[in-house]
Amino acid sequence: MSAGSYEIAVSFTDVSKKLSGRQILDHLNFEVCKGETFVIIGYSGTGKSVTLRHMVGLMRPDEGSIRIEGDEITTMSRHELEIMRRRFGVLFQSGALIAWLTLFENVELPLLEHTKMSKKKRAEIVQQKLEIVNLWQDRDKYPAEISGGMKKRAGLARAIALDPDLVLYDEPSSGLDPVIANEIDKLINRLRDEHGMTQIVVTHDMDSAYTIANRIAMFHKGSMLQIGTPDEIQTSSIPEVQHFITGGKEGQVSRRSNTAIIRGMAPGMLSQRSAEAMDAKEAEEAEAAVATEEPQEGYVLLSEEEAAKSESPEPEPRSLEPEESHENP
Amino acid sequence: MNWKDNAVINAVKGAGYTLVLLLEALGHVTQFWRRRRAIFTQMHVIGTQSLPITCFFMLLIGMVFALQTGIEFARFGQTNLVGLVIVSAMVRELGPWMTAFVLIARVGSSMAAEIGSMKVAEEIDALEVMSINPSSFVVMPRVVGYALMGPALTVVGTLVGIAGGGIVANLQLGVAWADYLRFAERGAEPLDIYWGLLKSLVFSVSAAAVACSNGMRTSGGAVGVGRASRNTVVIALTLVVFFNYLLTSFYRMVKLFVAGVL
Repeated sequence: MSAGSYEIAVSFTDVSKKLSGRQILDHLNFEVCKGETFVIIGYSGTGKSVTLRHMVGLMRPDEGSIRIEGDEITTMSRHELEIMRRRFGVLFQSGALIAWLTLFENVELPLLEHTKMSKKKRAEIVQQKLEIVNLWQDRDKYPAEISGGMKKRAGLARAIALDPDLVLYDEPSSGLDPVIANEIDKLINRLRDEHGMTQIVVTHDMDSAYTIANRIAMFHKGSMLQIGTPDEIQTSSIPEVQHFITGGKEGQVSRRSNTAIIRGMAPGMLSQRSAEAMDAKEAEEAEAAVATEEPQEGYVLLSEEEAAKSESPEPEPRSLEPEESHENP
Repeated sequence: MNWKDNAVINAVKGAGYTLVLLLEALGHVTQFWRRRRAIFTQMHVIGTQSLPITCFFMLLIGMVFALQTGIEFARFGQTNLVGLVIVSAMVRELGPWMTAFVLIARVGSSMAAEIGSMKVAEEIDALEVMSINPSSFVVMPRVVGYALMGPALTVVGTLVGIAGGGIVANLQLGVAWADYLRFAERGAEPLDIYWGLLKSLVFSVSAAAVACSNGMRTSGGAVGVGRASRNTVVIALTLVVFFNYLLTSFYRMVKLFVAGVL
């Protein structure tokens, strides 16, 4: 296998996937260029996390081709996948730190498993990565002793421990307060600008998307509805895109740095509220209570009237993502 | 009914997964030294921490067993023989499987819940993505720790049970210690001891494999973790009684072969 230098870091060609009889990905096509931050947005349950899982080979598509820097991964053996995955860093929604290891040991884990570095060299790298995410002073704490935001930052330090070419983020700002969310955004930008990492971010947080993205892709019913720069997305004429980015409200959600006031809320409050509401776990609980009768429904596009009445930033469909079994247990 | 929902097919798939996972984990035993810290941690959790409860159980079981057999032997004036029966029963049967029961209740269920929580919290996926094989990192240390500590606890538990029987025999049944020990010595041959240890090893490995397999297949949040834990106890206990019958049958054949009957 060659790790040739391609301008295209990731490409999906006609990728389709059915889960529990439901078409999750439907002839999905997109390409991510090297060195860019590519943000995927879309309603819950439209296949965003499933796309990330396909990218790292935790799931295989029913049909289509997925190439990472030119290497076809859909036909790779487990061993080949293991080698390929060393080019990746992945930040999971909850941080996914190993509970019985300290933060230091968690970040050290990939180095310990995949390199023959001396203990001193490993410690240096761990210190460097933990300092980037501002957690060096908490290195001896266990994941259970720290907050959700710290777990996420530690997860990020672990994801970049091996200086990967590609970093994937699954909802990096969900459940975080706006200040921490902002810090993560800055970090993502720093990794792109200073280290040239290609980054793919799945998020619901539009403020964050505008801050970090080179390009934003709107997911809809298992395929891409629109791919464009943040400005193109903001001025999109596609109703579904406008509906999503404005959270179903009239007018547009501002960037954090702007001072527009929407419905009497300051931008900070708005992003905090949206961060809370977008918290995937809360969303799931709400969905489980409401949507158990029709679990196969996709998202429901509200009419303008309904949308205006709705207090929720987005109509909640049922998300299948966290419950799906993957194919490489 | 959809064939995919068929309980029999699911059970066969589960058994197949468990077996493959166990073989994979055994294949990683070569990484024993690299994973020594995890293995020692598991040995501590499974062995040292289970020691008090195992000893308490076995002590009481030995005491009750002595009382019950004492009642029967007294009818024939053979109370002195209590030691013989207690030792043979403890070494061949009660020691291995009562220890296995205690361990499944105490360790098996929590092992499944721990791995299940890891699965639900995406920690297992994170390991896969970091190219760290969960069979090596998570499953192997647990299977090895269980396989080493199960038989070790059985030895201790059996000795404690025999001591418990002795205490009751001496204090309540009026058997002299010398008599108890004299007959106790005849209760078990080396073959019985090896067989008891073999049983314990088989019980331990199967319980660990079932716990890890149920943990790794967990889905559906907290409810799923609870289900994994419950299934582990039920399946592991069933396997223990089943393997116990099989191994006892083999034991009888070996005994008869050694005696020249077969």
